[in-house]
Amino acid sequence: MSPDTETPEAEAEAEAAETPTDAAREAVRDRFGAELGDAVVDSHITVGHTLWVRVTAEAWRTAGQVARDHLGCRWFDFLSAIDWLPSPYGRYEDDGLSPPKDIDATIVTGVAGGETRFQVFARVVNVVDQTDIIIKADVPDDSLAVASWMPLYDGADWHERETWEMFGIGFEGHPGLRHIYLPGDFEGNPLRKDFPLIARMVKPWPGIIDVEPMPADDEPADEPAADDATATGGGEAP
Amino acid sequence: MGLIESGKSPKSLTALLNISRKYSLWVYQWGLACCAIEMGAAFASPRFDVMRLGVIPFPASPRQADLVVISGTVTDKMAPAIRRLYEQMPDPKYVISMGSCANCGGPYWDSYSVTKGVDQIIPVDVYVPGCPPRPEALLEGIVLLQERIRTEDPAARWRGEPIHVT
Repeated sequence: MSPDTETPEAEAEAEAAETPTDAAREAVRDRFGAELGDAVVDSHITVGHTLWVRVTAEAWRTAGQVARDHLGCRWFDFLSAIDWLPSPYGRYEDDGLSPPKDIDATIVTGVAGGETRFQVFARVVNVVDQTDIIIKADVPDDSLAVASWMPLYDGADWHERETWEMFGIGFEGHPGLRHIYLPGDFEGNPLRKDFPLIARMVKPWPGIIDVEPMPADDEPADEPAADDATATGGGEAP
Repeated sequence: MGLIESGKSPKSLTALLNISRKYSLWVYQWGLACCAIEMGAAFASPRFDVMRLGVIPFPASPRQADLVVISGTVTDKMAPAIRRLYEQMPDPKYVISMGSCANCGGPYWDSYSVTKGVDQIIPVDVYVPGCPPRPEALLEGIVLLQERIRTEDPAARWRGEPIHVT
């Protein structure tokens, strides 16, 4: 999934030489990189599917500008964020009553790499050429804010408000960061991995408690069930 | 109406009034999620034809409605609007909670944003279980509500304490 994280250009070109190539997306990536220069940190191409480009947080708005003005990506698809922190509560499905003991807090990021806990990412599309690009950027852990894309795409308004309320990531220059889906007095950022689901702490997930057999399992289990009763629990029965 | 509010209405008149009210329920549709599709099938399609039960699904506003069907996922953000809707309805008023979400939160029982049952906001007369309930289930809920209306004491209903917003 991440063969080109070490040496992006060389690895990507070597891969492109031997595997099905995606000349269109490589051209987009090269034009994008030529405009942005050092601001491009990493990139990844899923052949025939997606182009990911990771830029620095400082160049977040510039990257959007370049995509809009130089790549013709006039259509803003979406903007959101990722919290790469493993959940400190573990998977509730593993054990309904208590969190798992050992939780590996190592952050593992996805395609095009990453160094911080939060990443913002957005997809913009050139509807004429049918090309698209997903731009992502590490959000600095100390400020937890990037520049708003509102001056570039009006459509980013609600997406940034949602990202702000769900992840607590600020967008500098956004005219009105306020709650959009949650009540105005809501506290916390629900899509952060360390946001506790109080209901699950009070009551375990029912799926782990209700261990009734499926109806189809009942009939075949009849004869072995008699054996089980004598073998395990029914020591005194016979 | 003074007779009824004071509970001095003759029993035969009460029974007549109840039958009349039972068969002229103006229902307001409050569709919030996928249950609204089933509600639409029950209320608006000739296959199920709710009007043969005397239920009229065409009030222009909650102020003309006797009954509201809360069908779908009630979120904490939607809750104040539902409360206001209920207060706008004239007495006597009835509520049907349709589907698991409106009954208790349903599959979203652990969500950070879903109200765990619309009965935390407004009183509910009939709960229709299902995820989503079939249109027949909603029709049965309406029939149950009609039975309740037929046998109830209007005075008790009309004397109900006013509900204050907190």
